[in-house]
Amino acid sequence: MMKVAHSICPSCSVGCGVNLIIKDNEAVGTYPYKRHPVNEGKTCRKGRECFKIMTENRLKEPLIKEDGLKLSNWEDALDTVASQIKSYPSHEIGILVSGNYTNQEYETLKKFADALGIRNIGCHTGSVPSSNLETVALDDVEKSEFILIIGDVIKKYPLLGRRVILAQENGAEILAVDEPDKTLTGINSQEYIQVESASSIIDEVDDIILEKLSPQSTVLISNLESEDDFEKIVKFFEQSDAKIIPVFQDCNSRGAVNILPVLSSDDMKGMLERVKLLYILGDDPAPHMMESIKNLDFIISQGYLINKTTSISDVVLPGSCWAEKTGSFTNTTGETQEISKIVDAPGAALDDQIIIKKIAEKIGLDL
Amino acid sequence: METQFLLAKAKDKELAKRGECGGAISALFKYLLDQGLVDGVLNLRQGVDIYDGIPTLVEDSEDLMETCGSLHCAPTMFGDLISNYLSDMRLAVSVKPCDAMAIRELEKRHQINEDNLFKIGLNCGGVVMPLIAQKMIDIFYEVDPDDVVKEEIDKGKFIIKLKDGSHKSVEIDELEDQGFGRRINCQRCELKVPRNADLAGGNWGAEPGWTFIEVLTDKGKKLVKDAKKSGYIEVKIPSEKAIGMREKIENVMIKLAHKFQDKYLEENYPDTENWDEYWNRCIKCYACRDACALCFCKECDLEKDFYNDENEVVPDPLTFQGIRMSHACFSCVNCGQCEDVCPMEIPLAVIFHKMQKRYRDKTGFIAGVSEELPPLYSPEKS
Repeated sequence: MMKVAHSICPSCSVGCGVNLIIKDNEAVGTYPYKRHPVNEGKTCRKGRECFKIMTENRLKEPLIKEDGLKLSNWEDALDTVASQIKSYPSHEIGILVSGNYTNQEYETLKKFADALGIRNIGCHTGSVPSSNLETVALDDVEKSEFILIIGDVIKKYPLLGRRVILAQENGAEILAVDEPDKTLTGINSQEYIQVESASSIIDEVDDIILEKLSPQSTVLISNLESEDDFEKIVKFFEQSDAKIIPVFQDCNSRGAVNILPVLSSDDMKGMLERVKLLYILGDDPAPHMMESIKNLDFIISQGYLINKTTSISDVVLPGSCWAEKTGSFTNTTGETQEISKIVDAPGAALDDQIIIKKIAEKIGLDL
Repeated sequence: METQFLLAKAKDKELAKRGECGGAISALFKYLLDQGLVDGVLNLRQGVDIYDGIPTLVEDSEDLMETCGSLHCAPTMFGDLISNYLSDMRLAVSVKPCDAMAIRELEKRHQINEDNLFKIGLNCGGVVMPLIAQKMIDIFYEVDPDDVVKEEIDKGKFIIKLKDGSHKSVEIDELEDQGFGRRINCQRCELKVPRNADLAGGNWGAEPGWTFIEVLTDKGKKLVKDAKKSGYIEVKIPSEKAIGMREKIENVMIKLAHKFQDKYLEENYPDTENWDEYWNRCIKCYACRDACALCFCKECDLEKDFYNDENEVVPDPLTFQGIRMSHACFSCVNCGQCEDVCPMEIPLAVIFHKMQKRYRDKTGFIAGVSEELPPLYSPEKS
């Protein structure tokens, strides 16, 4: 039994189409999805190998901590989660979610938080601007006369980079701005301005460049470490007539930003230090925020991957990865694309929306 | 064996109606599945629309209906799909000439077992990239691509059928002059009738409602004979005029392919400066290697430590594309998959095709067609 099924790549925010090759209910490879308008069957290596996400380091069973994490079952895990959540006042509960969930899951999670009066909720999804962004068609990037690129977009987001290459073949002028190292985007641009730090990027934009930022131009902004810089730079270019594409990190960062509050690293740190019970979905703050995490009494981790945070959690709930569920992702240009369930989740793992609803039910909430 | 020409159609009324040209090929697949001669049929099915051809494995002949009909906007490759995922099955597969060529090279390298395979060839003048098809239907036909329910290529025209039943057509020459139409690899391809399959079917020379079949192997001959005997197909002998007509069409197409080879491999061939620009874009994502049906090595030289240049901004073209070329270009079948999947729009297939042509001129080895392996073959140089 083999089938080829359409899906969207979960590896980054560009939203490429991938065909998954499924053999006996297991994804074994990918096949070019040439009808897909974003990438026409072309993918980067991450895209071609995205099927591996489904099997590597998977969580398959609920776990509960008793002298270390022990195999458990849904009934006990959900009872523990519900009674713990009920035992804390809402201001001591935090919900942290990654940018890899579907729009429908964010909506459900928001309802869940609202029903419990939880205000400490947000998505930590790399540095992202929170302003209302307009949707930009990828075809317009290709038709641009001038493209200004911040960060190594061609190397890191190749299927967005491809549109820059095509624009260049059509005669567009490409200007790259990046930190000093030589980059692929830099060597493929007519002009390459190397800046010392992200905060000095705006200073490099002189009148000549400003004049080129017509409606037929595009500004691609990626790779900014600090949320403030990202926000500032997006706001600055929004004053021009150019189309702006901030390049988000995760496959549904932009969807998350539309529904939930965005957390900067500082915001996240603040939340971890403010709350006592943390419900984490898909995120892994342990490697870089261990000090703040120590302040927590109880950690509930939900997701499909074994990581450092799951290993220090009190309850671990095995969720689904993208090809095991139905919903939608909003890509970095603002396009919302449907995904459908293609394979069953392994072991006892469940659809994430079902898990959230089951917890709500146990608490006595009607979502 | 002596070539045999036939006209055939399905006896099953539904298959005859739904299938292309009387559904003879679908009927042969049905015969093979019903008799248990194969475990599955690998074919194309239409997904959301006519631009969406999805490789589909059919294991129950009842499901064959969904793979009936032809799709010209589906630049698929079945060679590595079979060798990577279906090598444990007895299979019947519909093959375009490029599929058949890739399969032949893989058979010679023991990646596909010929005895497990029925190769049902489809004559092919070339296919169109799905998004190019949508764009050209919008521009040249002034039609919403979503309103197209069927397309076909006939008498040098790309013909579309709309929801309301009307037809519109544009000369393929006109489309290709403007950068639309068939994939450039297809324009250069000179194998239009897959004589490296067990039989080759199509509409050239056929009467309406019939498939013109050229039987090419004993296996193909037995298949047609048995399927007829079991009541799956109806067969008749084509007229001399029909045979002549088909030959004429094929020859015109081959002549045109030679013209395009001159255009793309000589006149418009990128110069050194262009190539420098192309190589500068390479992100070393291995898409070209992974899409190449012939790159089957489990351990690829390109990933060995001594070629590791991860710290470089771009790979050295000599130790990346150069190595791949030295391993694979002799056997390149010009399927164009490497170029189709390259995220950086590097026109890889032109170098490989040009090199294969030179090699062919010197040695007589025709990739995908010759029975033997390339001269001085070693696993390192496929």
